[in-house]
Parts: sequence; C-alpha cells; structure tokens
Amino acid sequence: MEALKVDGLSINFGGVKAVNDVSFSVEVGERLAIIGPNGAGKTTLFNLINGQLSPTRGQIFFFGEDVSDLPTHQRAQLGQARSFQIISLLQNLTVLENTLLTLHGTKPHRFKMFRQIQDFRDVFEKAVYELKRVGLWEKRGDLVKNLSYGEQRRLEIHLGLSMEPKLLLLDEPSAGSTKEESADIIGIIKNLESDITVLIVDHDMEMVFELAERIMVLHYGEVIADGTPDEIQIDQRVREIYMGVEESTDHVGAC
Amino acid sequence: MENLVINLLNGLSYGMVLFLIASGMSIVMGAMNIINLSHGVLYMIGGYVGWTVAVKLGAPFALGLLAGGLAAGLVGLMLERGFLRFLYKQPNEQVLLSFGFVYILSNLSLWVWGGWPRMPFTAKFLSGSFEILGRAYPKARFATIVFGLVLAGILWWLQDRTRVGAMVRAGMDNKEITMGLGINLERLFAIVFFVASFIAGLAGVIGAQLLGVYNALGLEILLLALIVIIVGGVGSIQGALLGGILIGLVDAFGKALFPRFAMFTMYFTMIIVLLLKPRGLFGRKV
Amino acid sequence: MVASDREVVRGPEQVKWIQFAPYFAVATILVVLPLFLSSYTQGVMTRFLVFALFSAGYNLVFGYLGLPSLGHAAYFGAGGYAVAVLKLHYGTDLFWLGVPLGILTATLIAALFGLIALRVSGLYFLLVTFALGQLLFSVAWNVKWLNSPGMQGIAGLSFPSFGIPGLTVNSTSYYYLVLLITAFCILALHRIVCSPFGHALVGIREGEDRMRALGYNTWLYKYIAFIISGAFSGVAGVLFAYYNYMIDPNHLGVGTSFLPMCMAIIGGMGTLLGPVLGAAVIISVELVASIVTPDRWPLILGGIFVLTIMFARQGIGVYLVELSKRAGYPYGSTKG
Repeated sequence: MEALKVDGLSINFGGVKAVNDVSFSVEVGERLAIIGPNGAGKTTLFNLINGQLSPTRGQIFFFGEDVSDLPTHQRAQLGQARSFQIISLLQNLTVLENTLLTLHGTKPHRFKMFRQIQDFRDVFEKAVYELKRVGLWEKRGDLVKNLSYGEQRRLEIHLGLSMEPKLLLLDEPSAGSTKEESADIIGIIKNLESDITVLIVDHDMEMVFELAERIMVLHYGEVIADGTPDEIQIDQRVREIYMGVEESTDHVGAC
Repeated sequence: MENLVINLLNGLSYGMVLFLIASGMSIVMGAMNIINLSHGVLYMIGGYVGWTVAVKLGAPFALGLLAGGLAAGLVGLMLERGFLRFLYKQPNEQVLLSFGFVYILSNLSLWVWGGWPRMPFTAKFLSGSFEILGRAYPKARFATIVFGLVLAGILWWLQDRTRVGAMVRAGMDNKEITMGLGINLERLFAIVFFVASFIAGLAGVIGAQLLGVYNALGLEILLLALIVIIVGGVGSIQGALLGGILIGLVDAFGKALFPRFAMFTMYFTMIIVLLLKPRGLFGRKV
Repeated sequence: MVASDREVVRGPEQVKWIQFAPYFAVATILVVLPLFLSSYTQGVMTRFLVFALFSAGYNLVFGYLGLPSLGHAAYFGAGGYAVAVLKLHYGTDLFWLGVPLGILTATLIAALFGLIALRVSGLYFLLVTFALGQLLFSVAWNVKWLNSPGMQGIAGLSFPSFGIPGLTVNSTSYYYLVLLITAFCILALHRIVCSPFGHALVGIREGEDRMRALGYNTWLYKYIAFIISGAFSGVAGVLFAYYNYMIDPNHLGVGTSFLPMCMAIIGGMGTLLGPVLGAAVIISVELVASIVTPDRWPLILGGIFVLTIMFARQGIGVYLVELSKRAGYPYGSTKG
C-alpha cells in the first residue's frame, strides 16, 4: 500500500521553480532518503508534503486521501510528524511542557479549557515514560534553550515519534550533531516500528546509506535519479553532480 | 458637475495631507520595523510651531513651514536616539513608549500653546480664492495639492534614485545583508527617522491651511495615518500616496453624499481592503 | 522569564507554605482594609479591581498568546455601554440583566473584530486593532442613541439593583461584589491558563509553525482566546459602568486600551497576577496625581509608560516571583 503519493508537484517562488513536476510514491514502512546539492528543493518538498507551503500545481495523496488542500494541522492529525532542519522545539518552554504540548496535539481534548494540563493522567504518564526513555526526565523543568544541542535534537526526534505518526519527515536530523550523536539518531530510526514510513533529508551520506532502502536525488527541483543505494552510487548523473563537491558530505550544518 | 469637481478637489487636498502624515510613518515601519505612535503628535507640533512663526511672529509662511518641519524633526530625532533605538524588534515596547510620548507631548503643548484651537492659516499670496465653474474655491487648498505632489515626487526620488533610498529598500528586504554590506544602520535609521519626522512637521503646517491646529489633532491624525497605511500597505511611498488619496476622496464624497455616516466611510473602506487584501493595496511583508 | 505558569507542569513537587504567604497577605488586605476606608477610597479600590480584571483578561491575548491588541477598550466600553443604554432607554439597573447583556455585547463585538484583526499579524495587527477600537469610539460619539441628551456619553448611572426587596447597594457592598466577581474571574482565567488550551496559547506564542505541525489549529486557538479575552474585558466594563456614574466614548478609545497593556507590562506579561500588580501601581499613582496635580495626569501617565519601558520592561511581578521561588522551590532553573 502507498503511504504517500506525490503527483506532478510544482511550486514557483517569483519565477524560480523550486520544485518542478516531481512525482513519486512511497510504500508503507519504506525508508526513503532524499538527497541533492544545496538549494535542490529538498526542504521545500518537505514543506509541500506537510502543508506549510501550498503547491502551484500537482497533488499529494496520504494513504490514498487527497491532502493537497488540507492545512498543516489537519495533516498532523492524519499522522504526519516532522522534525525540522533548525530545531523547532519551543525554546522558552520547559522540556516537560514541550512534551505535554506534543502529546496533547493529536488528542481530542486539546481544546479543554477548565482542567489542568497535568490532570490528564494518561497523557502525563506517557510524558513521564517518554522523558525517562530519552533520559531527560531529570531535566524536565529546564528550559529547552538551556539543553545541549544534542539533547535538543534527541528530544525533538523522540517527540516526533511520540505522536505515533504514520509518516515521519526528518529534515537533516544529523545537522550540527557530533559523530556519537549521529550514531545515536541512526539507532533510534533503525529501531522504529516497521510500519512507520520515513522520509529523510540529510547531507550525511554515511547516515543516508545506512538507513535508506531507497534514495531519490533532487537537482534544481527535479528528480534526476530514484533507486536503491547501490543503483544511486553508480548513477552517472548523480556522480556528475556530486563530483568536485565532495566536501558537501562533511559540510554538515549548512543549509 | 460643479459639486463633483469641488468634492474631487476637497478629497485630493485632504488626501495629500493624509499622504504626507502617513508616508513618514509607513517608511519608518517598513524600513526600520518601528511603529511610532507619536508620529501624529509630531504633526501637531509642526502645526503649532508653524503657527507661532508664520502668524504670531508674522514671518513668511515658508519660514513657518521650515520651522514646523525642523521642530518636529528634532523632537523625532530625540525620540529615536534617546529611546526607540533601544527597542528594535520589540513592537509592544515601541507602541507603549511612543504612546507615552503622545501623552507627554500633547500635555506639554497644552502648556505651551493653550487649549484654544488655531484657525487655518496660509501664506499671503495663497489667501483668498479662485473661481471654478462659478464657485469660489480657496487657493490654499490648491496649494496643498501642489505641495503634496511635489513632496511625493521628492520622496519618490529619494526612495528610488538615491543611495540612502537604496539602502532603505535593501534594509526592508534583508537586514542582515544590509549590515553585511558595511552600511552603518544606526546612522541610516537616525536619518530616516529624522526625515520622516520632518515630513510630519511639514505636513502639520501644510495641513493647518485646511484644518488649523488643536490639541486633540495629534491623536486624530494618527488614526487617519494608520487607516491610510492599512489601506495602502506598509513601507511604500506609492501605497501611502494611493491610500491617502483614496481615503481623502472617500471622506469628501462620503460627507457630500451621506453626511450622517461620513465618519464611517473610511472605516468601511479599510475593512473592505482588509477582507480583500490584508496586506494593503501595495503591501509588503512586515 | 515567565515562571508562574510554568510551575504547574513541573509535576507534584513539594510546595512550601511560604510561597502562599504573600497571597494570603494581599487577600486579607483586600477583604479587611475597605471596612476602614471612606466611600471615596472604596471607590478607588473598586476601580483598582475593575482594571485588574480588565488587564488580566487582556493579558490572555497579550501576554500568553503574544498578540498585542491596541483595541481592547472596545470590549470593555461595549460592556459599559450595554449597562448605560439599559439605564438610559429602559430605566433599569437590574444586575441580572446588565451583566449578561454586557458580556454578550462585548463577546459579539470581539467575535466580529477578531475575524478581521486575525487576518493580519505582526505590526499590522497593532494597526488594525487600534483602528477597529477607534471605530467603536466614533460610533459612540456620533450615534444619538448612545448619548444622554446634550452631552457626549451617558450619565446618571448608579450601583446595580438586585430586584430583592430591602437590599440596596452602597459603595461598600458594591466593592465586595466586585471583589467577588474579580476573584472568580481570575480563578477562571487561572484554570484556562493551566489547561491544555492555555498551554497551547503559550506554545503558539513561542512557535506557531511548530504548533501547526503538532496538529493544532492555531487560528482557531487565537480566535477563541481573543473572544474569551473580550468577554472578560466586557465583565470589567460592566462593573466599571455601575460605579463610575457615567460612561463616555473615551472608555472605548485607544487611551483606555493602553491601560491594561501598561499594567500587564509593569506587573509582568504572561503571568496571571502581574496585571493585577500593574493595576495596583497605576491606580495608586493616579490617586496621588488626582490629589496633587490633576491637570498634569496625562503627563504623569505618559511618564509611567516611558519609565516602564526603559526600566521595568521585564515586569516587577516577575522579579517578585523569582524571589518567592528562591524561598520556596528546590529548582533554580527558571533564570534563563
């Protein structure tokens, strides 16, 4: 079954085609990496998939349903979760608050007005469980901005998972991380339930080849290659694009 | 037919005053991201100083104009250097502080100039009226339209043809790049703020030909400026000009056609624009 | 920065009694002190409570949600005008009629204006709320039905009646009524702020994009909060009209809108009791100024705005909370 199907997707920014007639589909449980040089349109593609941008042309289907016109929050309700290239945790709130807000987001009682947030015991217990699992329970009262970068990254990815998404969009999960932290993140993603579909954008080729079952290469907003890691490695056009720009592999953190 | 022409002229002359007061405020908002609610009070100070020089001291009107502009410009510069420059990117703080100065400057003006309203005044050669289609029409209103158009031209030239204008436009689009180019933003902002305040002062004297000057004017004209900016869009001379003329005309024809609802015609226009084009007719992203 | 709304989700930590001591002290003063005061001073304290409520309601949108409205006097004044029109045209000052009608009027207007104002954000939001507030000012100024004959505004208002024989309201009993209602409203606001809804508002203030990605319909949250805040402003307006003898267009205008904003900033925005503290500061200064130099009140008020921004931008309330925290809490983590 297809988890995600993108059909003829295009978007123009003032005449520049940031994403141009992109079509692909992803099976349930598939791990797809999207790579390409800077400015290839990877993040824009993510923004289109989760609804932060609306396409100039084309359609997006999520588990068979046309979500092209749905706002971001409704796509989240349907089971899309996303981690951002720049960490998007609410920096001035505590670790626990961030966790609770994430867990409440897809619950029907998120509009409840007259009961204290920690009185929703089931959600609170889950928050305790999640925080103990990431090893941040002791720091639950700390403002997120006071955590180390690696801790923030780990928390963000865990929170994305705690939404129990069907589709996880990871935008440069390794950006700014040390080798050990990257390995940690790889471990987390490898251990995911097999029915969670994952899309990863990253410059860290080690991570991409370790995780992806399939790789799609974007260049100037167009798909120029799509195949297994082995096929991509020997693809002539991909080699041309990446030739001489070898440094982009260790150029982590660049946007 | 005569009525139509008269209303048109009334609307245009009023619209020019609105353009002048809105343009400076709009540029400051667009270029510096600063919202200065005491802009209307600067207009009022310009008007009072212009009156003092041109009427009380009997100096030529042109001198009153210059004095009004300079007075407002200097007060504005003091506000920017002394206070607002510490509040970049803090809109809540900017509005509360600048509204504090609305109270302070209005109350000080009350002290200096008293509570009685000043009648409209103008230059000697502009007093009296022309005859248009058999009706007498005050010359001063024409003068307002001419003043407005000339200043619009100058501002346009400043914005599109000069180095400072280019820097301001660059600053609107991307602050970081502007700073990266080694432009001294502090000085640029001070200049922009002074020019905007100076124009507010000029507008105060020019507008005094139509409206006179009185103590509550600072707040009234501020509201009109805000409506013009909402309609025209933040940050552009064109938007302020178009918005000013539109609101001026709407007001003139509103007063002529439905006198009972004249006050609401401009609000109505504003709400329509907000519903159709929330960023205003010439809006850019703020 | 903002601490008091945060301790809630810190879990069941130990709470020391000393933390509550200041609250008990303030409550005692509010209950006992008026018994020894003249009716004029009772009126000043009533005024304080009214503005504390207005400001606390305003702060839901301003401090928690982070939307700086410059037109909340519209809802405050609308509540007041509802009561005044009842008196002027229908000759009734029945409490049971005035309160619901005032709240309803304020809520409906907030619902309408919110639809327009929430189409824009950033600096535009300031401009649009300002202009919409002045729209109502201009309506009140120009529509004959909203003015007593021969004046601007509606005069001749009085304390409400309750339709209970033998029960008359004087300045003392009215003070306690206002105290009761204000306390109730602030408790209600406390519930809202601590609920998932209230936390979502803070989340939206801190990062609207993230909240959308988490599944929150952020527009709807903002709209609902705007209406709730308008409703509380309306309650304050109703209570204000009953004791103020008259209501005029200025109570709908921007001058009145700035008071809750200044109070919230002085006391500490994004906290529940900050606005109450701010109201206490401003009303006290107003009291002194009205005795010493009434003509210069605008000058002094303007001075307060400027001094607040230059020296008390973080809010003195936040400072006090920090202090009590150091006394009562094991965590020292909110310094950041």
